[in-house]
Amino acid sequence: MISTLLAAALLMSAPADSAVVDSTVVLKDVTVSGNSSHNYQMRSTLSGLQISHSFMENNFAGSLMQTLESVPGVKAMNIGSGQSKPAIRGLGFNRMAVVEDGIKHEGQQWGDDHGLEIDQFAIDRAEVIKGPAALFYGSDAIGGVLSLYSNHIPIEKFEGSVQLFGRTNNEQLGVSAKVGGRLGNFFYRANATLINYADFQVPTDSIQYYSYFIKLKDRRLRNTAGRERDWSVMLGWDGYDFHTDLRLSSNWAKSGFFANAHGLEVRLSDIDYDKSRRDIDLPYQSVQHYKLLSHTLWKGDNVTLDANLAYQHNRREEHSEPVSHGYMPRPGDSLERRFSKSTATASVKAEWRLGEHHTLTTGASVEYQHNRRGGWGFIIPDFETLQCGAFASHKYTINEHWVLNAGMRYDHGRTHIHSYNDWYKTPVAPGDSVYMERSADQRRNFNSFTWSAGVNYNTGGWVLKANVGKSFRIPIPKELGADGINYHIFRYEKGQAHLDPEQSYQLDAGIHWSGKGLTVQVDPYLNYFPNYIYLNPTSDYVEGLQLYQYTQARVLRWGLEAQVNYEFTSHWSAEVKGEYLYARQRSGAKKGYTLPFSTPWSADATVKYSYSWRGNGFVSLNAHIVGDQNEIVPPEKPTPGYWTLNAQAGKHFDLGRCTLKVTLHADNLLNRRYYDHTSYYRLIDVPEPGRNFSLMIGVDF
Amino acid sequence: MKKILIAALMLATMAACGDDDDKKDLVYPEIAVNQLDAIPNDCHEYRRGEVINVNYVFTDDTELGKFNIEIHNNFDHHSHSTSATECTMDPAKSPVNPWVFNHDYDIPSGQREYRAAVEIAIPSHIDTGDYHFMVRLTDKAGWQQIKAVSIKVVE
Repeated sequence: MISTLLAAALLMSAPADSAVVDSTVVLKDVTVSGNSSHNYQMRSTLSGLQISHSFMENNFAGSLMQTLESVPGVKAMNIGSGQSKPAIRGLGFNRMAVVEDGIKHEGQQWGDDHGLEIDQFAIDRAEVIKGPAALFYGSDAIGGVLSLYSNHIPIEKFEGSVQLFGRTNNEQLGVSAKVGGRLGNFFYRANATLINYADFQVPTDSIQYYSYFIKLKDRRLRNTAGRERDWSVMLGWDGYDFHTDLRLSSNWAKSGFFANAHGLEVRLSDIDYDKSRRDIDLPYQSVQHYKLLSHTLWKGDNVTLDANLAYQHNRREEHSEPVSHGYMPRPGDSLERRFSKSTATASVKAEWRLGEHHTLTTGASVEYQHNRRGGWGFIIPDFETLQCGAFASHKYTINEHWVLNAGMRYDHGRTHIHSYNDWYKTPVAPGDSVYMERSADQRRNFNSFTWSAGVNYNTGGWVLKANVGKSFRIPIPKELGADGINYHIFRYEKGQAHLDPEQSYQLDAGIHWSGKGLTVQVDPYLNYFPNYIYLNPTSDYVEGLQLYQYTQARVLRWGLEAQVNYEFTSHWSAEVKGEYLYARQRSGAKKGYTLPFSTPWSADATVKYSYSWRGNGFVSLNAHIVGDQNEIVPPEKPTPGYWTLNAQAGKHFDLGRCTLKVTLHADNLLNRRYYDHTSYYRLIDVPEPGRNFSLMIGVDF
Repeated sequence: MKKILIAALMLATMAACGDDDDKKDLVYPEIAVNQLDAIPNDCHEYRRGEVINVNYVFTDDTELGKFNIEIHNNFDHHSHSTSATECTMDPAKSPVNPWVFNHDYDIPSGQREYRAAVEIAIPSHIDTGDYHFMVRLTDKAGWQQIKAVSIKVVE
């Protein structure tokens, strides 16, 4: 599987048509993949991995993140239904950056139950950078970067693909189509995706939570159905030394929250949730994300200039049945929260080739965010933020064995948080009641200096890497200004106005060896935060709810990913991979505890049979093993380990000008009942989905 | 290069072994509502103007934190518990002047066992009907226990 990936990675580096990539995949020669990996690994001192379109198709697992989860160190934090959000080496939310075509994706990524508003079927390829990538990406890229590319340039006059896909567990049906073409130097692309899924099934008849006992009908989680509609259009001009394109995309999704336990309160409603497993009742969320992106590239003799301009608008609504709580009367409508966020980004980058051995990269970026809230539930205030940064990075290729690089970056950020008062009155003294202030007007400025340095060495089949770097994250307005009840999880969350930018120092190493069909890769890391921003559950109560307050603590983390691939014959290959992560708070109220959602150790063993009969095909069997997670912090529960048996098969049929592709993915074949420690539903004791078959049929033309 | 690697691994190993002695509280506090003298308990009925003499015993293996009592109406029959006793409920109705009670209480520091004895007066002008009596208890480490008790307020 991984050699397919690596082979494709090489092919991908040339601007080849995805169809060409796919048809050439199956192991023309193992050494080709070896070299490709080698070259790629020598490009950066950080640990990284390229993921080709064919890898994504072959490993299609329901959502982009679940597909990418086969990369060691990458985790999909399940938020229910078909949706999940990414985490790299245990860091998710605002501690990693998702970048689409060079621009940071800006949604409401702080939320536990917010998915990634990107059409996975529009993605041509992806790259995962593990480790501190602040140098090029600025704030947030602490854990790493998930870089998605949907900017493949068509080579034919007219080309395209249609994919039909389905999942048995939540009866998901979907269709995605892409067309594109090139006329001289002009090119265009368009795509559209429609997805519809029903309530998902779990291998249990009931869920017990606190003292509540929730019976499930037909082993389905009530009201977890959803829909998604995405489209994009792109126009561009691609010449020898000049390229420019403009892409407009829209992503719309609506999905229900598990009706019986939205957050931590168990509710019995008059809504007849069991009348249909495809309908979406309250509570539900809907998101509309528009993105307009312009990318321009100019290649001179000794310099390459790159400019990106983008505008994104994210409108997210969460609806639930209005109920009174404390002094809040019953609201008049179901709109609990609305977030409307606009983000404008501009970035320029110049790569200067200073002779044979030296390359200097310089760049600058500006980002402006404007966020407005609505609804009767308050969680984050209105705010505006402005961030600007500039960096310079130098790469020195001493000889064919040694590469050194070092760089630094300076960022300045400004945040203006608006005040917010409740829409209802709270009694404060006998005969006196006020509209309580939940957020005070405040302005903060942040400055951050970050740096990174590394070395690569390769000889024979070896590539050795080391990198040390500092990265940072500007506190988000929720961390600075939250002061209210989080109705989703029924707790009182309080920000801290004087939080400093979170800083992280990380030491990374990479040991790679390949030869004779064997590839070994070990990537250890050591990470220290002097001031990790942590939402601490206290013993205090505010307005009847437990107070969770943002604080900063020293945190130490280390871990590693390891992977071994072996090609026995041209048909048989095997892969073993695993990851481990350790995290400890070293100061503050939770000294000695781990961090929330700590990823347990996991390992995978896969055997794969590849064949060629009227097109390439493969069958593979995988055992996924996950250890116990007893490292917990309130309010988590220990999660026992588990293992699942999974299988995959893929086949390409060459039909003259077309290629028919069929991929079958079977998860949890033994229908095991298990919990995922990093899942949003873990806190309410909902097990992970049971047995599932995913089928994708696609035609490339 | 190799030295850096070795140094990193050594540091990591030290980090792993260095602080596992830290004592962590991983146990929830307990609210004993099933004992005979627990007040109120499921299906208890109170008259308007009457005083509820709350009586619960809280325990924790390390140190108790704080507790909160919150009372809200259940006129819409919005939730249910596993208690063996199913109370008979009045027909569902809309609140006019429902009883809202929400109060935080301190527990003296250093306690592993605490008897909560609180007097709560039921206002005489509130809507009668089914109410939820919620008890929330934390321990020092931030673990929380919740108990929901169904009570009824009558004329």
